[in-house]
Amino acid sequence: MCASVNQELQMLDSMAKEFAESELVPGREEFDDFPFSPLFDGALKKANEVGFFSLMLPEDMGGANRSMKALCTVLYETCRADASLGGVIFTNALAQEVMINAGASDMIPSPEEAGGNPRKALLAFAPFDNPVETENRARAKAVDGEHFLDGDVEYVMLGGLAERALVAATMEGQEGISFFLTDVGLPEVRVSEPVISLGLHACPAVDIRFRGARATLIGEAGEGGLYLSQAADRLSVACAAMSSGIMLGSFLTALDYARGRTQGGRLILEWSKMRMSLADIAIKMKCADLIVDTAGTSVDEAESGWQQASRAAALHVCPIACDVANEGIQLLGGNGYMHEYGQEKRFRDAQTVQSLLGMLPLRKLAYLNMVLEAGKY
Amino acid sequence: MSATAVKTAKDFLKQDPKPGVTLCSLIAGKKLPNAVIRETKQAIAAARKFNEEVVEPRALELDLKKMEDPDYLPWDLVEEANRRGFFTYFEPKIFGGKGVNLPAMSYFCEELASKCVGIANVVAVHYLGVATLVATWNVRLMNELMRDAAEGERLGEPRIMSMAITEPAVGTDVCEMKLLNKSDAAFRIDRVDGGYLVNGMKHFISNGHFSKWQIVFGYEDLERPAESVVILAIKSGTKGFSLGRQERKMGQKACPASELLFDDCFVPDDYVCYSPDQASRLRRPIIESNQQLVDYLSTASRPGVASFATGVARGAYEVALEFARDTEVAGKPLIDHEWAQMLLADMYTNVVMARLTYQEGNYANGLYGMFKLLQAKPIFYATKYTPKPVLDLFMSPILNMPLSTWMFRTLNFDLWKKEHQCIVDGYTSIAKIGATDLGLKNCQLALQLMGQAGLRHDGKAEKHLRDSKLLQIYEGPNEINKLIVFKSMISNLVPNTCMFDE
Repeated sequence: MCASVNQELQMLDSMAKEFAESELVPGREEFDDFPFSPLFDGALKKANEVGFFSLMLPEDMGGANRSMKALCTVLYETCRADASLGGVIFTNALAQEVMINAGASDMIPSPEEAGGNPRKALLAFAPFDNPVETENRARAKAVDGEHFLDGDVEYVMLGGLAERALVAATMEGQEGISFFLTDVGLPEVRVSEPVISLGLHACPAVDIRFRGARATLIGEAGEGGLYLSQAADRLSVACAAMSSGIMLGSFLTALDYARGRTQGGRLILEWSKMRMSLADIAIKMKCADLIVDTAGTSVDEAESGWQQASRAAALHVCPIACDVANEGIQLLGGNGYMHEYGQEKRFRDAQTVQSLLGMLPLRKLAYLNMVLEAGKY
Repeated sequence: MSATAVKTAKDFLKQDPKPGVTLCSLIAGKKLPNAVIRETKQAIAAARKFNEEVVEPRALELDLKKMEDPDYLPWDLVEEANRRGFFTYFEPKIFGGKGVNLPAMSYFCEELASKCVGIANVVAVHYLGVATLVATWNVRLMNELMRDAAEGERLGEPRIMSMAITEPAVGTDVCEMKLLNKSDAAFRIDRVDGGYLVNGMKHFISNGHFSKWQIVFGYEDLERPAESVVILAIKSGTKGFSLGRQERKMGQKACPASELLFDDCFVPDDYVCYSPDQASRLRRPIIESNQQLVDYLSTASRPGVASFATGVARGAYEVALEFARDTEVAGKPLIDHEWAQMLLADMYTNVVMARLTYQEGNYANGLYGMFKLLQAKPIFYATKYTPKPVLDLFMSPILNMPLSTWMFRTLNFDLWKKEHQCIVDGYTSIAKIGATDLGLKNCQLALQLMGQAGLRHDGKAEKHLRDSKLLQIYEGPNEINKLIVFKSMISNLVPNTCMFDE
C-alpha cells in the first residue's frame, strides 16, 4: 500500500497479504453470512496469534509496538480480502488507544493474559459514537468508591465476542462522558442478539443493556470525550487504510471480470467505457494510497498538524471508497450484485467503514473546528 | 438557405432539438383523458393501503428471513397482491383487466418502492412479462394470458408472468441487436414439428419461482441471434422445464431472481408469441423489427424502474427526515441545524427530479410508444365505460382472430416511425439513468446523515441502499442506457457515427 514502504513494512505487508489469502478469502462469503452462519473463529484465533490484536501495544505489554503505518498496512491487506476482520482489528485498536490515552494501558488485556484466546484479547467498543456531539444514554453511578452502569449502549462492536467492553457513560453531576471497562458476562449486563447491519457482518455488534453492572472507571471522570477525540485523531487514518484496501479488492475483482467476460463479442476490458471506469477506479485508488501513506507518516512522525492529516484522510478517502465499490459492482453488471462475487460485500463494507468514528457531516464540521483552532489560516 | 435569408419561426423550429423532442409533456398534457388523473389517485391510494396493511409490517422481517433462508419464497405476498387485484389492475379491459391507465402504474410503483423495492418488484414485475407479450403484439396470446391472470384472480390462484431474457453469458447484449449478434448467446430454440424445442438456462429472472407463465427469449440460430429471435410463452409444469436456484442478491430480497432450466422442453405452436417466420411478414428487415420489439419492451419497463428509484429515493428521504426530527445534536434537534436542512432539501429535490424523469418517459410513451393506443381519448373512454361483460362477449373473439394480430403489428411495427422510436427510447433511458442514480444518491445521503443508526437493519436506511443498487443494473445497466441515449438522441445529429463497434 504505502508509497514509501520500508523493509519492515514490506515484510508485514507480505505477511498480512498471505494471511488474508489463506485465512479470509476462501471463506469470505460464508463469513459474511454471520449471524446466520458461525463466526470465523479460526481466522480470529490466527489473527491473534500473529499479533494483529496487539500491533501497537508497547513491548512491555507483550505488544509489537508497531507504527500507525504498520496498522494501516495490516488493515489495508485484510480489508482487501475481507473488511470484517479489518473491523475487528480497528475496533480493538481504537479501544486500546482510548485506554492508553486515559493512562490505563495496564488494564488492556495483554497477549500473555489472553493466552491465545481472541475473546480475552479483544475489547468490545462502540466505534460509531461521537460523544462530543451526541447524547450518550448509559449512566454511571459511584457507590463507595465503585462504579455501576445503567442504561443502554447501542452498536457495541465485538460485544458478543470479547469478554470485556469499554463503554462510554455519563456520570451524575459530571460534565462530559467517562469511559468504563466492564465484564460483558456479568449478570447485570444483557447483551442482545447480534445487530443485523449493512456491512462488516463478521465483526459482530450488539446492543448492551446495563442494570447496575459493576465497572471500572478508565482515566479521569468526564474526560472521555478527550480520550476518544485523541484516539480518533490517530486512528482516522486507519479508517482510510481500510477504505483503501476495499478499493483495491473491488478493483482487482472488476479487472479479473473484465479480462474474462465478453460483451458484444469482445472482452469487456477492450471497450473504452469500461477501461475508463477502471481507470477512474485505479486513479482514485492510487490517490487514496498516497493520502494514507502521507497521513500515516505524519501520525508516526508526529508532524505538525498530524491530527488534521489523519482526520482529513478518512473524511476524503472513505466516501471515495463508497463510490469505487459502487462502480465495482456496476462493472460486473448483475453478477456484481450477487453474493458470490464479493463486490456487493465491498459496497456494504465501504459504507460501514465510512460511518466509523461517527456521522460524516459532524466529523467534517469538527474538522473545520480543528482547522480554525489551529489558527494557521 | 443562404446566410442572408430571413429565417421564419418555422425555420427555427426545424433546428435541433426539435419541439417534438423538447415539448413532450406540453404536447402530451392536453391529449390526456381527464379520467387519467382520477385513476392515478385511486392507484396511489390502493398502493398506500397495501403499504400500510402489508408492506410496512412485512418488509424488514421478510428481508431478514431471506438472509437466514435464501430459498424462502414469500408466496403469501403474491397471494395478497392477487387478492387485491394488482396483477390485472393495469391490464387493459379488453384483455380482461381492470384497465387502469398505464402511466398510473409508475405512481403506484413509486408508492410501493418507498417502503420496499423488493415487494414492489414482486407486484410489478408481472407487468414486465405483460409488456414483453405486448411488445410481440400477438393479440391472441395477449388475450389468453391476461385473461388467465384475471381467472387466477377470481380463483385465488396467482397466474402471473415473468420475462426471461438474460442468460449466464449474455446480459447487456440483449438490449441492442448489433451487440446481440456478436454475443455468446447459448439459449437455442429449435424448430420441430408442431412447435419448438427449448434447451438452455436463463438466470436473474425476477419472480421466476412465482410465475405461471415464462415469456422466454431464445434464438433459432446462435450464429445470428439478432435475426432469429423466438419468444415463447412457457407454462410452469411443462415437461422439460424446471426451476433452478434463487440467486443470492444484496437487496430486493423479497423478489426471487430465479434460474430457469430447459431440457428438451417442447412448446407447441399455439404458444409461440413471436418467431422469425412471423417477423419475416413485417415490413422492415427482421433485425430492425426485433430491435423494435426490444425497444417496445424496454421503453415500457424503464419508467417503471425509474418509478422504483423515485420510491426508494423517497423512502431514504423519509427515514432521514424522521431521524433528523428525533435526534439531538449539540443540544438541539438535528433538524434545526442548517446543514441538515440543506441535506434534506437536496434529498427532497432528488425525489422530485427522479419523478419528473419517469413522468417525461411516460409522456413520450403516451405520445409515441406502447401506451399511445390505449391513451387515445376515444379508445380510452370506449374501453373505460363499456361494461366488462360486453367487452368479454364481443371483443374477446375478435382479439383471437389472426386479423387482430396483423392489425396491431401493422400499426405498431410497420407504422412506428423511426423518429418516434428514438424519442421514446431516449426519454425512457434518460428516466432510467437519472432516477436510479438519484435513488442511490439519496440512500447514500441518508446513511451519511444517520451514521451508525443508518447502518442498522432496523433503521431501514441500509435496506433502501441495498435495494437501490440493483436499479442501476436491471432493465439494462445504466451504461447501455447511456449508449441508447446517444444512439436515439445524439447520433442522428452526427451522420455516419459508428456505434457498438469501436
